[in-house]
Amino acid sequence: MGRDRFAKQSLGYLYPRIKQSRILMIGAGGIGCELLKNLVLTGFGEIHIVDLDTIDLSNLNRQFLFRQEHIKKSKALVAKESAAKFNPHIKLEAHHANIKDPQFNIQWFQSFALVFNALDNLDARRHVNKMCLAADVPLIESGTTGFNGQVQPIIKGKTECYDCSTKDVPKSFPVCTIRSTPSQPIHCIVWAKSYLFTEMFGTSDEETPEFDHSEDNENAKEIENLRQESQALNNIRQSMGSDEFARKVFDKVFKDDINRLRSMEDMWKTRKQPNALDFDGISKGASGTKPSIAQQDQKAWTVAENFTVFSDSLRRLSTRLQTSQSQTGIDTVAPVLVFDKDDEDTLDFVAASANLRSIIFGIESKSKFDIKQMAGNIIPAIATTNAMTASLCVMQAFKVMRGDIDKARMVFLERSAARVINSDTLKPPNPNCNVCGVMSSTLIVDPDRATLNDLVEDVLKSQLGYGDEFSVNNEIGTLYDPDLDDNLSKKFIDLGVKADSFLTVIDDDEENPRVNLSLAILEKTLPEDTKAVHLPKKLDIARKPKDAPAPITNGGTNGDTNGHVAASFVGTKRKRSLEDPENGQQQDNKRGKIQMPSKAVGVQDDDLVIADDSNDGAIVIDD
Amino acid sequence: MAETIITPPILQGPTAKEKKYDRQLRLWAANGQAALENAKVLLLNSGSGVVGVEILKNLILPGVGSFTIVDETNVSELDLGVNFFLEESSLGKWRAEETCKFLQELNPEVKINALKESIDVFADNPSRLEQYSLILLVGPTTNARVLEKICEYADKSSIPLFYIHCQGFFSHFSVQLPAQFPIVDTHPDPASTQDLRLLNPWPELLEFLETKTRNLDSLSDHDHGHIPYLLILLHFLNIWKASHDAQAPANYFEKKEFKALVESGARTNNSEGGEENFDEAAAAVLKSLNPPSISSGLRQVFEADDCQNIKSTSANFWIIANAIRNFHTSHNGILPLPGALPDMKAQSSDYIQLQNIYKAKARSDLAEVTRTVRSSEQEVGRNPPIEQAEIEAFCKGAQFVKMIHGRPIRVAKCTAEIDWNDRAKVLSPELQTPDSLLPLYFAFLALDRYQDDIDRIQKVRKPADDEQLNDIMAGRVVSGAVPPLPMFAESAHFSTPTIDPEHDPKPWPRFDTPEARTTFDNVVKELDRADRGELHNIAALTGGMVAQEVIKVITKQYVLVDNTCVFDGIASKTAVFNI
Ligand SMILES: [Zn+2]
Repeated sequence: MGRDRFAKQSLGYLYPRIKQSRILMIGAGGIGCELLKNLVLTGFGEIHIVDLDTIDLSNLNRQFLFRQEHIKKSKALVAKESAAKFNPHIKLEAHHANIKDPQFNIQWFQSFALVFNALDNLDARRHVNKMCLAADVPLIESGTTGFNGQVQPIIKGKTECYDCSTKDVPKSFPVCTIRSTPSQPIHCIVWAKSYLFTEMFGTSDEETPEFDHSEDNENAKEIENLRQESQALNNIRQSMGSDEFARKVFDKVFKDDINRLRSMEDMWKTRKQPNALDFDGISKGASGTKPSIAQQDQKAWTVAENFTVFSDSLRRLSTRLQTSQSQTGIDTVAPVLVFDKDDEDTLDFVAASANLRSIIFGIESKSKFDIKQMAGNIIPAIATTNAMTASLCVMQAFKVMRGDIDKARMVFLERSAARVINSDTLKPPNPNCNVCGVMSSTLIVDPDRATLNDLVEDVLKSQLGYGDEFSVNNEIGTLYDPDLDDNLSKKFIDLGVKADSFLTVIDDDEENPRVNLSLAILEKTLPEDTKAVHLPKKLDIARKPKDAPAPITNGGTNGDTNGHVAASFVGTKRKRSLEDPENGQQQDNKRGKIQMPSKAVGVQDDDLVIADDSNDGAIVIDD
Repeated sequence: MAETIITPPILQGPTAKEKKYDRQLRLWAANGQAALENAKVLLLNSGSGVVGVEILKNLILPGVGSFTIVDETNVSELDLGVNFFLEESSLGKWRAEETCKFLQELNPEVKINALKESIDVFADNPSRLEQYSLILLVGPTTNARVLEKICEYADKSSIPLFYIHCQGFFSHFSVQLPAQFPIVDTHPDPASTQDLRLLNPWPELLEFLETKTRNLDSLSDHDHGHIPYLLILLHFLNIWKASHDAQAPANYFEKKEFKALVESGARTNNSEGGEENFDEAAAAVLKSLNPPSISSGLRQVFEADDCQNIKSTSANFWIIANAIRNFHTSHNGILPLPGALPDMKAQSSDYIQLQNIYKAKARSDLAEVTRTVRSSEQEVGRNPPIEQAEIEAFCKGAQFVKMIHGRPIRVAKCTAEIDWNDRAKVLSPELQTPDSLLPLYFAFLALDRYQDDIDRIQKVRKPADDEQLNDIMAGRVVSGAVPPLPMFAESAHFSTPTIDPEHDPKPWPRFDTPEARTTFDNVVKELDRADRGELHNIAALTGGMVAQEVIKVITKQYVLVDNTCVFDGIASKTAVFNI
């Protein structure tokens, strides 16, 4: 009796095809570990695993292919080894790499029968969605948050793609809310993490994703004040290690800066004035408090306790930074510390500083446990949800492989016990989607010669008949539009347009615009006497459907086609956000973006006016 | 069974263990984790048993205290194809021990045991079940007698039991809980836990109202547009009451009228042509002005004997429930204030002050409940005192407390007919519904019966060729020669099976709707095709679903599947039935 008898019996004619299939799994985290087990035991012939991340202690409560001794090792490699040990008959290949690396190009994607996304961030998900559409390979997209999970099969031209509906993007806050007029605990946490910590121990000129600069112009004067404030704080940094350091920092950020803010009467007409803290007074009161209070992470600390943790963690971090500075040579880049939610020293500092600031502004204090979640963008994750979600991925894969697209479903797991699993029929592609509702083609480019002008004049205007109103964009932003012609003479390589990257041409014709045109760059050396840019075959580009509502855009996050994050939108959502913590590619989350719950946050001052449109769940921030 | 008293462990800062469990602590907190770590789970495994192993995997990872596998089988080639926790070298060895070896690697903190004996032998002495806090029983068992015995004993001893099937593309599980199974922390949606108590305002709130709305008309547009909506509601309530015999709007029409009154207070001669805070107030009229009432879940708790008559042996739950019941009675039907405020348009200083007023009230209500708890403890001579945190959690979630009435699960029986009682009436219409997954449940029930038949035949006549016998029996189920089902409409009972294996059993009533019959036949055909084999992927999914419910039962948190869930892996659909 063969070991695959049960699979043969139940899967029937599909089974031989499964055995011959070469498939790709991106992300070897929570869903990925479970998925790999299921794929191996379902009998898929060859499985490729891509993951950039390494194993962390907090993964072990669910990512069962990893153990204590694997911490800090590559997830992709260890997952492969662990799975191979249990089933030596399957061909497994692991890539400890970023899925956005150029080696994973369209041709490579085309070599797979099916792709599974088990990722934890929007950016990589969008990228894989796009690559699978370009390669015309079915994609099974999945994600979990706590008890919730979701699986979505995506087939080019037949179903919605990942970007057909817009997704939540990490929340950002106006600089003035964070620096001058906080009204919620999260504002103080962002301040402690992205301003104070960075100024004290990091690289201060680094751009912070949580800061929304769109309102800077309206508040030019205050922004200038804030800039000077940062400068002054940076000067204090020079006295790190001295006895007076803690007092200097404390007086600067919890007294002087607060008093300056307090003096700006206009600011406090509708808000409660902040009250500066007094170093000596608090320090006296805190004399009996031991630094070990930092270990009590479930309760909100008192002023004295926060003060003690603040001073103690400042000392610990200063020592660390100075030790590593003394160990590096003069020529090398100065060492810095980076906030990491799992690094106790950095977390203590951020928690205590955030709470002291909350106390100043009369905002509720939070426990270290809660602050860790908010500052570290922690999403709850458990084995059971991952197990269910991964199995549902495989079941949808069976439908896709059978060609039963009509029977494939968007599947949801819910916390409610009324049904456990819910499903929904797959929607057809959104004709206005900026990713799949587009015409796609490759664009053959001679990298030595091709300029943007070659594309704009020869291909778009002359050959395809575009009028004057259109723009050429890539994932970084707009390269060309009627008001932006500086780049025309530049070569593609100088614009960062490389092989296997994408350009999107958006027709802004008022009368009858074309659907978006997505061009995948294929580099090739072309004879000198031919045009440096050309299309491999004739294109007939459809016009946008009329009357269809345009999707609500998220600026730069929608289809990666334009680079400006529009401040007037912070994301809309149709279903739920898909975040699988610690799964696979993590470069985004390691930076600790703050992700807010998707529902409208409270409106307690004039900074943000948030309207929760209950019809479609859209959240709009007016400015 | 007396509930075990769960005390959260003293936190010594985030230890390595807490870091490891961080992502789940955010779902069930330290007390849930402590309960999980104290749990002793027993797995009585049957068949290829992958689903049982997958459940255990999902319990070992989050750190269940201990588990024991009862399974006497040796590893076959087939096991290697479906069970991830075996390897080539396991072939021919004792399956439970081999699996445990690999499962242990997942979490060294979990105590793992294996017992090499059959479930039949184990069932001969069911008192051995006593030492476990939860039982997982995978079917079909060798015969109905075993199944019946174990379920009965677990019920008698109030030990939660899960009965699980997983075959081919289908699976099922039923949960058998003690007759009274309260869940305090159901984790309700935060938005629904807000109780603003507008119809019973207290002095501090009224005082604040007075300072904010005293000169409403002379306020600047800015201030007027920033009065928190709940103060607007309170203000207009006072106006309303003055002309309505001091009564608040009571019915839908009055509320509509009241809403219009609120709306009329908004200023429209400003640039927005309206005021957001007044819009919020108007929108909240219908849901915020309801007289205090308690949920049916809480009512059941209040009415329970255990709540009314507390003793020294009463569980924490009942002592606190009793105190909250006292509060409810002495305050004319209101519950302790949860204290949370919704977001609203307001100046931040006002919002913070309002927040403080609500929090202070919540604290004083909690203090009152705590006093009652302490005096009850003294009265009945109960020690140690219940933790304040447990009382607070109950006060905050009182409205959402849920009482599950566990009942014995219906299993195929060999000695008597299944007693369907009132369930037959409830389930019959469900069977008439096209696309219902209920026939799946009966197909598994039939499978148990069929297994029981095989067992009897084997005992009477030792067949020369086991496989041949299986084929014969499988054919009989599919052809309907072993009529597997009752027809609910006419008979709420399974008929008594025949003991004589040489003759076809007595024909059973069938479904009267063709759809239900077709679904049933298809499931039976599919089960037959699976030949009692598991698909790993379906076992993994079922393992996830069951483990999730097991964790809810152990932690007594979240709302449970009550009490039967079936899964159709062809349609990727589940259904939950109360059977
Ligand atoms: Zn799309």
